[in-house]
Amino acid sequence: MILKSIYLKNFRLHKSSVLEFSDELNYIVGGNGQGKTTILESIYYLCTTKSLNGSSDYESVNFNEEFFEIKGKFFDLTENNVVINFINESKRKNIYIDEKQIYKSSEVIGKFPVVTLTQSDHAVTFGSPGDRRKFIDSVISQTSETYLKILIEYNKTLKQRSSLLSQIKERYSPVLVDQLDAWSEALLKNGSEIVKHRLKFIDEFNVYVSEAYKNVMEESEIPFIDYDFYGSKKVDEIKDRFNEELTTNRNDEIRRGTNLVGPHRDEFQFILNGKELRKYGSQGQHKTFQIALRFAQFFYMKDKIQKSPIFLMDDVFGELDSYRAKKISHYLKEIGQAFITMTDFTNYKFLARNEKDKLIEVSEGKAVYA
Amino acid sequence: MLIAEPLQIAIEELSKLPGIGRKTAQRLALHVLKSDINNVNNLLNSLKDLKEKIKFCKDCFNISTDDLCDICKSVKRDRTVICVVEEASDVIAIEKTNEYNGLYHVLGGVLSPLSGTDPESLKIKELFDRLEKEKINEIILALNPDTEGEATSLFLAKRIKPLGINVTRIARGLPIGGDLEFADEATIGRAVINRSSI
Repeated sequence: MILKSIYLKNFRLHKSSVLEFSDELNYIVGGNGQGKTTILESIYYLCTTKSLNGSSDYESVNFNEEFFEIKGKFFDLTENNVVINFINESKRKNIYIDEKQIYKSSEVIGKFPVVTLTQSDHAVTFGSPGDRRKFIDSVISQTSETYLKILIEYNKTLKQRSSLLSQIKERYSPVLVDQLDAWSEALLKNGSEIVKHRLKFIDEFNVYVSEAYKNVMEESEIPFIDYDFYGSKKVDEIKDRFNEELTTNRNDEIRRGTNLVGPHRDEFQFILNGKELRKYGSQGQHKTFQIALRFAQFFYMKDKIQKSPIFLMDDVFGELDSYRAKKISHYLKEIGQAFITMTDFTNYKFLARNEKDKLIEVSEGKAVYA
Repeated sequence: MLIAEPLQIAIEELSKLPGIGRKTAQRLALHVLKSDINNVNNLLNSLKDLKEKIKFCKDCFNISTDDLCDICKSVKRDRTVICVVEEASDVIAIEKTNEYNGLYHVLGGVLSPLSGTDPESLKIKELFDRLEKEKINEIILALNPDTEGEATSLFLAKRIKPLGINVTRIARGLPIGGDLEFADEATIGRAVINRSSI
């Protein structure tokens, strides 16, 4: 899938910008606060109808203005024109695909797949197990609607069960305890499905990660994501293992009034050369792993949904030495179309470029082609 | 803006109804205002009758005009099968199919610790009283396929099975007359897993 052009009106710093993109690499260069990331942000909006960093629609409207509008022209097998606008007064966001209004943002998600590599990926390797689960869940959900639905069901069950457990903790009564088994069984059903999906996914995804890592880094470091569910990696054992854990921890769960076992506590360990990255990895290894994960996600999604996602890379080159910047710019050629922001030109001369690539300079919310 | 008070009150009351927003409420109120007084009286009386004359069947808790509903009274129904549903509206939905000839039991909701609905606030005890008194061969669980419906089904199944009664659940899958390609992934997935032989 290719994004041909975008039009931004009152979107953050951009009062009115029209941008034509290359089918290959688009380098967006400019100083801090000039509106580079805003371009990535607007592309992300077109793909997901949501902001990249979790800010509200309201915050994206240019100061002194009453609305913003983003238009994008995608091309896959056919042309798709996406329009998103937000009007302060009505607090309404309107989404149109090919002039037809879309009322549910879920109808857009998945239609224009997108992969982002940003500074906040830091959390994926450095952060808590929850940050890694979030990453893994987002990759699987984008390729499997079934997984997303089970995950939603599981989280609802988790909430209900947690409420029940805390009620039991507060006042022990047979009526309350009586219900626990039913909620445990519901948890067991959805939870085992989640674990099965995750096991299968990690198995496949590991191949993509090591391939990506090789392309980002020359050295023979071997990356690996390790995942097991209470010591088990066998799909047909999962339900029994889960059930055992629920039985063993039943009294503890009641005493503490909260859910203690299940895939919501899963840990995905990132391993490099047999050692746990989080504990033993250098800054550089973390960065390389983060980059490899996103490239792996790109190629995994591309294979699964038979559509090339939009690739957004925010301010990553600034942190890399010239050797790795060059290596990654080579690898980007395999992606197809990508959007890359950079604060300065220091690394630019090292990048592998060809005449189809585009350099867009951004200054005070205006874009110029270099 | 000043709106005549009776109109304001009518809009206020109408917008309390489910699915009715302020704008629709205003439209309805203005429509009533323009209507013939006889029509308005008919509407009023029908609503009043609804509240005064309808009660809940003492056996199955379906809506009824008598102590027992027409289904529970009927001699033509199969009295060995009970279909358990969430609300009386589900009885109407199943009755419309003409595919079911047994009895019903309306729970009046589903288990939900978050909103404080426990087995005691549902008609679960009443269901087991029926199972004790009557000769029932099969219980069909026809609760919504959502989180709470699932948990409630599991809760009931676990307690009914030891009584030696066959417990089944309505199938879930593809809509009749629908195109396979338009169904969502989760539904198709479920339909494949729960496929039946022909």
